[in-house]
Amino acid sequence: MYGGGGGHYDGGGGAANANSLFGGGGFMPSQSTAAPESGGGGSLSKGRNAQTLLPLTVKQIMDAAQASDDKSNFAINGVEVSTIRLVGRMLGKVERVTDVAFILDDGTGKIDVNRWENESSDTKEMADVNDGNYVIVNGGLKGFQGKRHVVAYSVRRVTNFNDIAHHFLHCIYVHLELTKSNSRLPSQINASTGIPGHANQVRLPNNQATTFSASGNTAGNDVSSLVMSVFHDPAIIDREDGITVAYIIDRLKLPEEVIKEVMQKHIDDGNIYNTIDDLHYRSAMNG
Amino acid sequence: MDTSSPAAIVNGEILNKFVGRRVRTVVQVQRNEGGMVFGQSTDGHQLTIKSAMDIPVSHFMEVYGIAEHNQTIRAEVCTDFGPNFDAKAFDGLCKLANDKFKHLFL
Repeated sequence: MYGGGGGHYDGGGGAANANSLFGGGGFMPSQSTAAPESGGGGSLSKGRNAQTLLPLTVKQIMDAAQASDDKSNFAINGVEVSTIRLVGRMLGKVERVTDVAFILDDGTGKIDVNRWENESSDTKEMADVNDGNYVIVNGGLKGFQGKRHVVAYSVRRVTNFNDIAHHFLHCIYVHLELTKSNSRLPSQINASTGIPGHANQVRLPNNQATTFSASGNTAGNDVSSLVMSVFHDPAIIDREDGITVAYIIDRLKLPEEVIKEVMQKHIDDGNIYNTIDDLHYRSAMNG
Repeated sequence: MDTSSPAAIVNGEILNKFVGRRVRTVVQVQRNEGGMVFGQSTDGHQLTIKSAMDIPVSHFMEVYGIAEHNQTIRAEVCTDFGPNFDAKAFDGLCKLANDKFKHLFL
């Protein structure tokens, strides 16, 4: 009685799962942003590359980002991957009625491989390879419940061992080719997030200083926050020794007595403290 | 055989950096003295392979094992790569796989 109900529920759960997976598909563009962003003709080459046979190392597969849950597609170097070639040693071969399962170890990692035996030629091919043999596997990369595996279309024994070195060199070559067109983009991102962001924060106190001196010696509170903003400058906050009063005066271009008065208040409030000597101070904020 | 951790692809020179760790390399067999194989790495270094398989002299042998010293590998798996193997290409691969493209391998 429970079994029937349970079965029904499972069915419902399955459908809900499928729905949520489709729902997840809606997030796909943001998750796989690497693909559309990478290079101008990204969307065009994406479709083509998904079907292109890519030579890969197992390490690359394990590092790959999953593009979307429902299609179990992966992105490597910003391109969708489905058909791959791996070269490695066959381990733990298990022959079953309809398929052969084994582990492929290419020295960079291990991955489960399945070969369905539909035709007698498939069976013949699989009989030719055994544990310890080097094999060339062409197949589809699949993801299931977070585990990655390969469904092989062909498994051939390596007879010319130059194929192994060649495969790895081919992996490098293809990686280089795919990252070459994208390489400009990450550097631009770095440039825009790194340096200008930093510069903005550094510039901030100076801007305030100019507005302050323009408006004259009126609000003491502004000087107080200006002084603290110098301490919290990203270029300074990590300095173990802290900074001197002279540095702050020079930085803010304000009268010495004004700065000293504000500093004393900050010291009394516990916002800043002495470091290596009586002249150096550091913000208490950086812990 | 233990294949649990990845093995660095090395030549004689790069072997230095992986003492105590798993490596894979190819040597050309020069002498075989009861399980100890003396061979030449693809970059011309003399390497000693302990507990190696019996592989004919002048054949290339691939070794998976632990780097015991900078010139000694304790073999776990050996494969006869035959007499015709492009040592130069493999040596080039060693250099690339441990430098700019290390992230694809280790």
